[in-house]
Amino acid sequence: MVTFSQWLRGNSERYLLESAQAEMARRYLNRPGPPAEPGLGPLFWRRVFVPVYPRLPWRLRRAVIQALPGSHRRSWQAREPSRRPPV
Amino acid sequence: MPPRIVVVGGGAAGIGAAGSARQVDPDARITVYTEYEDAAYSPCGIPYVHGREIPDFQSLFLQGKEAYRQAGIDIHYERRVTGLDLGDRLVHVDGEASVPFDRLVVASGFEYADPGVPGTDLEGLYYVKNIRRAIEWDKVLDDVRVAVVLDASPLGLEMVTALAHRGIETHVVDAHPWALAEVADPDIMQPVEESWAELGVKTHFNTRVEALVGDGKVRAVRTSEGELPANIVVVCTHKQPNNRLAKQAGLAIGSTGGIVVDERMATSADGVFAAGDCVELPHGVTNIPVQGLSGSHAYAQGKVAGANAAAGDRTYRPVYVPWGMVAGKWMIGGASFGETLATALGIPFVMGSAEGISRARYYPGVKKVRVKLLAEPGSLRLIGGQLVGQEGIKERADFLAMAIRMGVTLEDLAWMENVYSPPIGALNEPMAVAAQNGLASVRG
Repeated sequence: MVTFSQWLRGNSERYLLESAQAEMARRYLNRPGPPAEPGLGPLFWRRVFVPVYPRLPWRLRRAVIQALPGSHRRSWQAREPSRRPPV
Repeated sequence: MPPRIVVVGGGAAGIGAAGSARQVDPDARITVYTEYEDAAYSPCGIPYVHGREIPDFQSLFLQGKEAYRQAGIDIHYERRVTGLDLGDRLVHVDGEASVPFDRLVVASGFEYADPGVPGTDLEGLYYVKNIRRAIEWDKVLDDVRVAVVLDASPLGLEMVTALAHRGIETHVVDAHPWALAEVADPDIMQPVEESWAELGVKTHFNTRVEALVGDGKVRAVRTSEGELPANIVVVCTHKQPNNRLAKQAGLAIGSTGGIVVDERMATSADGVFAAGDCVELPHGVTNIPVQGLSGSHAYAQGKVAGANAAAGDRTYRPVYVPWGMVAGKWMIGGASFGETLATALGIPFVMGSAEGISRARYYPGVKKVRVKLLAEPGSLRLIGGQLVGQEGIKERADFLAMAIRMGVTLEDLAWMENVYSPPIGALNEPMAVAAQNGLASVRG
């Protein structure tokens, strides 16, 4: 049983990556992108989500990503690099 | 009374946890359950035995079973854990009475994603994981003429190269436009593809698997581009977290399907820790959780989880994911992410790339090294990098991961000090040249 957050992440990651791969394959390999999968679901992700996502402000995208449940929302202390000489 | 620490899983994370718990608390009663016949071997070495680079499987074992007994680590082999009762602090084990614990480490590893096509119940499908099965498959490979590898994943790359080295006609089928497309950039992978072609490997990119065909035993793979005959199929699909026990026990699961942990590798339940391929961790640059990292990540996480299960106080940190491997005659590697993933996520970046050399230009054996760096616009802090070459790739990938962690900028890297010694390093370090080129492109 897949949770909503897994469904959202799995699909958004898959179709955004697919779109980026198509762009990169054209640019570097002169090759087409992955073949489109038939069906209404894939059509929504490809034709609606993928074009809309980059138009959203990065802050909003980041806020949505951060709002998903996961290890990133628990305690992880980042140690800031010190620029001070050690001695 | 010494604490009872139970570890579920005998892979890198589980064995790391048991050993670390023993170091922290010499009196703890430590029990490890594994469903397999062995623990503490390197499954990552299996493709290289198949490819004949390593002469035998025995060298993949780290320690014999006796060494663990002597260390006071009680490993129960071929024992499947069927349930975790976090309320009564019990582990249910097939064929044993329920086992009480004070602290628990879940290191249940990964499962290959189901290819999701008809025919996965056929014989002749090889899932590379267990060393005993690998030994059996190695004998089978002697009579294999044609093999099809499903997915050009990290393991897929290693198996394709190994099978080709073995003289087997090898096909790789992948739905993406190039190999390792979820991790590496196409320009980094192009030399690998050319090298595979020289080895006789047939690549089928942008190709979907539709069915595995056979009568009891697989004889072909039906794809969107036609049918490929196959004596065996090596399934190298995505490594999914094996979270079945954790889910049943009510541990929090994240968006990757991995168990949610904090910097102490503590799960959502008190006294329960988790480590390895079954957990997810925040990425150091994006703070997005990731899972399915390398054996070295699993081992290090296991050490942290085990120490804390034994009442120690250790922390793990967000990951910058240095990676590297050999594919065909090339070494590829990187840290954090590349151009493709940054483009997919819409992360703004500036880029610098260069083709340098691994030794002095006149020194025998000098190899090309191609470097690609990504940096944050404005601050020019490094956020990712990828490399391809024939030596010195792993060391540069490790260096880049640390450089990103420490906030190194293109400016820092462009004028870095570097070792110059004709047999081991060129006058111009390729990473520095890539950073200089990145600065030049930014400043026009």
